[in-house]
Amino acid sequence: MESIISDYNYWIYILLMMIGLYAMLAKNNLVKKVIGMSIFQTAIIVFYVSIGAKEHATIPIIAHGHGHGAVEAAIDVTHYANPLPHVLMLTAIVVSVGTLGVALAICLGIYRRYNSLEEDEIQEQLQ
Amino acid sequence: MIWQLDLSILTLIVICAFATIMVKDLLSAAIIFGAYSFLMCLLWTEMGAVDVAFTEASVGAGVSTVLFIAAVHQTTRRVGFRKSGRGLSKAVGLVAALLTGLVLVIAEKDFPGFANPFTPASLHVSPYYITQTLHDTNVPNMVTSVLADYRGFDTMFETAVIFTAGLAVIAILRRYKKDDRCDLPDPHVISAGYPDTIIRFVARQLVPFIQLFALYVVAHGHHSPGGGFQGGVILGASFILLAISYDSRMIIGRMSEKWNILLGNIGVLIYAGIGFLCLLLGANFLDYSILSKVLPATDKIMARSHGMLGIETGVAIAVMAIVVSIYINIVSCGKYDKDE
Repeated sequence: MESIISDYNYWIYILLMMIGLYAMLAKNNLVKKVIGMSIFQTAIIVFYVSIGAKEHATIPIIAHGHGHGAVEAAIDVTHYANPLPHVLMLTAIVVSVGTLGVALAICLGIYRRYNSLEEDEIQEQLQ
Repeated sequence: MIWQLDLSILTLIVICAFATIMVKDLLSAAIIFGAYSFLMCLLWTEMGAVDVAFTEASVGAGVSTVLFIAAVHQTTRRVGFRKSGRGLSKAVGLVAALLTGLVLVIAEKDFPGFANPFTPASLHVSPYYITQTLHDTNVPNMVTSVLADYRGFDTMFETAVIFTAGLAVIAILRRYKKDDRCDLPDPHVISAGYPDTIIRFVARQLVPFIQLFALYVVAHGHHSPGGGFQGGVILGASFILLAISYDSRMIIGRMSEKWNILLGNIGVLIYAGIGFLCLLLGANFLDYSILSKVLPATDKIMARSHGMLGIETGVAIAVMAIVVSIYINIVSCGKYDKDE
């Protein structure tokens, strides 16, 4: 029980990844597949941000750090969350809206041509 | 971090993920996905990742939902049933998902302990960023300083990726011929029915405040959560709000396709240009400390801070233009010439 609570984020990330992968493979509707892809992406982000989390740590902005003559007191590393995963995932989220736009554009192009978003109906017309 | 909050938010996230996959109406799926993104945003805040939360709120819960709704508006809400081979595809998907899950569960034992401050990820370069950001750059928000300075190369190419995505959407969807098929009711209007005066008035009054807030987010990213990406998306969202409440002709009149592509280019070029300026002045690419030679009354530390502001502005311009461009292309199915 203790390990389930302490590693809850990791279990949920695995579960979200499975949901996303299942939707991408098994769903018949193309927009549903795109939603599955987005869920898969957020699962990865959950994983990264969970790695950067620290117990009893605050947000990665140094308190009273602005202005000239800012506090030069020794900064305790364990006191701030790890900023590196945050940076990587921040850009990943913005890139995910780019991939989402391209994926939806492809869906619209397919719909324009085959007048359907269902995988099997498109395959029927292809044959 | 409060583990009770963590547990309940994560449980709600899984429920939303299941619901958005299972629901039989694409518009509902899009809205539930928006709720899912919003819960994610709460989760990031709860784990101390405020910049990620800000990005998720503006990108995931905001623009992504709008893009889904625009795509559903252009196609259909219907989710059909697979006529044959339904069991097979479900079985294949289930087996693949379960296998992946199994492998990850086995690997989970070797993951670093959750919320442990002494994991390998927190011991290598991250302590340097945390302790030296004020000393090196005078920027208290270390996410901004890592994003724009220490790892400036990464961010430059991420911006290039956004730009490429905008180009790809135009290449896939844009149609210049008038007699193209795909008969749409009206490619410009997303809100069906009669024009609503109250919504239009409120949206019009909100836009300047949204844009002012976006500029604040860009300029104040050094001291608080925010920065070029978030500010750019909010700027783009203000245009999208106008496009939804009126129609997309409203923003095409203000920000034509030509300007949109040009601004996307300019944003990326500002970023790369500042990098090249550093190179010309005799330092490494994107080493802003050399900019103290050209900026008046700036020492080497403040030059890095100002250099970051410069590239964040470039990022904001590029992201704004690309988000608006993707939205207009999707909502009008690539048909938005002025003379229609």
